[in-house]
Amino acid sequence: MSDEMMQRRVLLRRVAWMLGGAVSAPAALAILQGCSAKDAAVSAAVFKPKFLTAPSQMDIVAEIADIIIPKTDTSGAKDAGVPAFIDLVLADVYPKDAQQRFTAGLQEFAAMASTSGSPFLEREPAQRAAFVKQSLEKALEGERNPKPFILMARELTLLGFFTSKVGITENMEYVAVPTAYHGCVPLSQMKKHVYWE
Amino acid sequence: MDTNSFDAIVVGSGMSGGWAAKELTEKGLKTLVLERGRMVRHPDYPTATKDPWDLPYGNRITQETRQRKPVQTRTGYPTPANQHWFVDDLDNPYVEEQPFDWLRGYHVGGRSLMWARQSYRFGPLDFEANAKEGVGVPWPVTYDEIAPWYDKVEIFAGISGSVEGLYQLPDGKFLPPHDLNCVEVDFKKRLDEKLGRKLIIGRCANLTAPLTHNESPQRGTCQSRNLCIRGCPFGGYFSSVSATLPSAERTGNMTLLPNQIVYELIYDNDKGKATGVRVLDAETGKQTDYFAKIVFLCASALGSAYIMLNSTSSRFPNGFGNDSGELGCNIMDHNKPGGSNASVEGYLDVAYTGRRPNGFYIPRYRNVGKDKRGYLRGFGYQGRAARAGYGRFNDSAAIGEDLKKEFLEPGPWNVGMTAFGEILPYHENHARLDRDRKDKHGLPLLVVNAVVRDNERKMEEDMRNDAAEMLEAAGYKNVKVNSDNYHVGNSIHESGTARMGSDPKKSVLNKFNQVHACKNVFVTDGSFMPSFGCQNPSLSYMAFTARAADHAVGELKKGNL
Repeated sequence: MSDEMMQRRVLLRRVAWMLGGAVSAPAALAILQGCSAKDAAVSAAVFKPKFLTAPSQMDIVAEIADIIIPKTDTSGAKDAGVPAFIDLVLADVYPKDAQQRFTAGLQEFAAMASTSGSPFLEREPAQRAAFVKQSLEKALEGERNPKPFILMARELTLLGFFTSKVGITENMEYVAVPTAYHGCVPLSQMKKHVYWE
Repeated sequence: MDTNSFDAIVVGSGMSGGWAAKELTEKGLKTLVLERGRMVRHPDYPTATKDPWDLPYGNRITQETRQRKPVQTRTGYPTPANQHWFVDDLDNPYVEEQPFDWLRGYHVGGRSLMWARQSYRFGPLDFEANAKEGVGVPWPVTYDEIAPWYDKVEIFAGISGSVEGLYQLPDGKFLPPHDLNCVEVDFKKRLDEKLGRKLIIGRCANLTAPLTHNESPQRGTCQSRNLCIRGCPFGGYFSSVSATLPSAERTGNMTLLPNQIVYELIYDNDKGKATGVRVLDAETGKQTDYFAKIVFLCASALGSAYIMLNSTSSRFPNGFGNDSGELGCNIMDHNKPGGSNASVEGYLDVAYTGRRPNGFYIPRYRNVGKDKRGYLRGFGYQGRAARAGYGRFNDSAAIGEDLKKEFLEPGPWNVGMTAFGEILPYHENHARLDRDRKDKHGLPLLVVNAVVRDNERKMEEDMRNDAAEMLEAAGYKNVKVNSDNYHVGNSIHESGTARMGSDPKKSVLNKFNQVHACKNVFVTDGSFMPSFGCQNPSLSYMAFTARAADHAVGELKKGNL
């Protein structure tokens, strides 16, 4: 991350805290127009994590999510609000032991990146993606019970993405009121091939 | 007549209570319906139209909810979309001497809001089994006697299904069946060819077409949303809230009071009758007595047993109508020890649209006709075929654009099914009161002790292996046998606590669901079942409730009650 972005983030956090932490995103955005901060850092900064509170935890998880599902011609994990989703699910849904495994695994992930080259967040995007890919491959070869960190992060990313509006509507045929069920439909006759169910 | 007096009192407003209310009010009885939980009115279901992204936590249960509802959530049934229909276990404790999943919905409509809507008749095979095999007590009712009542409730509720002509699973008055999907049609054909077993579309209480009567103008057809458990604002499936209670309401004869915990029947020793019920207001704790000529207990098998066990008098020192010693005993459910699943090759250019609130059903074939096994009774399967969803990406290393391309195609087909097996009635499987332990209302706690025994264990082998055998016979791949650690209650079909029978020494109720020893009290929830088949039971509760209500009004008119 560039120094400029870092500084902006710190500034943004201060604004959020100054306003009591519970500041709404639009309100913060309005205040921040002067900073011309229109990139993803804005939402990341105004958002105050509930579980991933230690330095760079939230940032690393957000990057992993966005590497697994990046923005292309369709939305990526960050567009879908996946980082905040992961933080909230970890905080409120995960039991203590799974929380601890996630945190320990995240620490190990970061340490491994640092010792095998350079800190994860300081790597170029392609190197970050390669490290995530490599971590996934390694995890899939090894013991998966209990689930290793990178697979937990992946599962949370997919869950968050496919329960988000953009994740669902850009990739699936979502019909709130289908009115009828048809048991055997050629994919060629469907608007999108995956029907949300 | 004072304001606390009615012709009839119905305790409970769920599957059975709704039917009792409808039938009694339509026959002119001023009827008080008492529900221990809060009010729910059609079509006000708080989460019914929420989109998936409007549900918190990706619809996963929080630790906070798990803490309040440890029993409900350990079963996996509640989600943020429906958790408001499941009781707070801390406020509603009971004692599990053996693990017992007691899934409860304390609100108007009870579990008729959350039910899975599978609707099957019991057949001659089921009604005759106890007598033929010397198990429990013989059914005092034949299939022919109850068949017209099945007709009646099916027509009113709207049950979809296919006519199959199966002896072990009698046909009913059906709305059009749902489609089987492409792979289910394939499976049906192969199963028939290879093993001579039937696969049919599930029979369910969803309106696949308009009702054939005009009694429920508030109901529309099923919209294939498959969000039934949240409550359906379209009235697309049967619940007491969407169907029977509105009918009762329209007669002008119903008084429905929520938040009223009935804890005792009032018995008049001189008259030899029940005169009413004692009630605690769930919110204020205020105690009230209500009086009526007849009482229908429809509080669920454990709920009604609780009230009867708690209603002691010099005449009934061991619980109301409990001359036989069978009250609270013979708890049954459906044994659900597993099944099988497999992946299916091919059919990649087809899928389905809409969300079918139903699956396929494989009716019982064990111990039917010439088939003879080393155990009594049998089991059926519920299952479905589907294309794999995004869960298949969890254990993959694909990332980025490669992964996003995969998002756009449905996964391979898979097919899975779960067995539901009959549990025999055992006196030892029982519920009783612990008067030393009290809930927050000062009421004694219910103790439940029920387990599966030898016959069920023997059957379990077939239940799992047959499923795998069928999938293998169909030529499907990666066939896996699933073993579930079932606890009694987990099928949410608990029943049998006040069984009916001809002999008052061995049963609590007579053939019209009347307490043998006190004819103006009727029990028409799952309590009355002397045996349990392997079919989902709600349709039978509806039919027996309607029949009992008809009998009650006839007897009242004759001056017999």
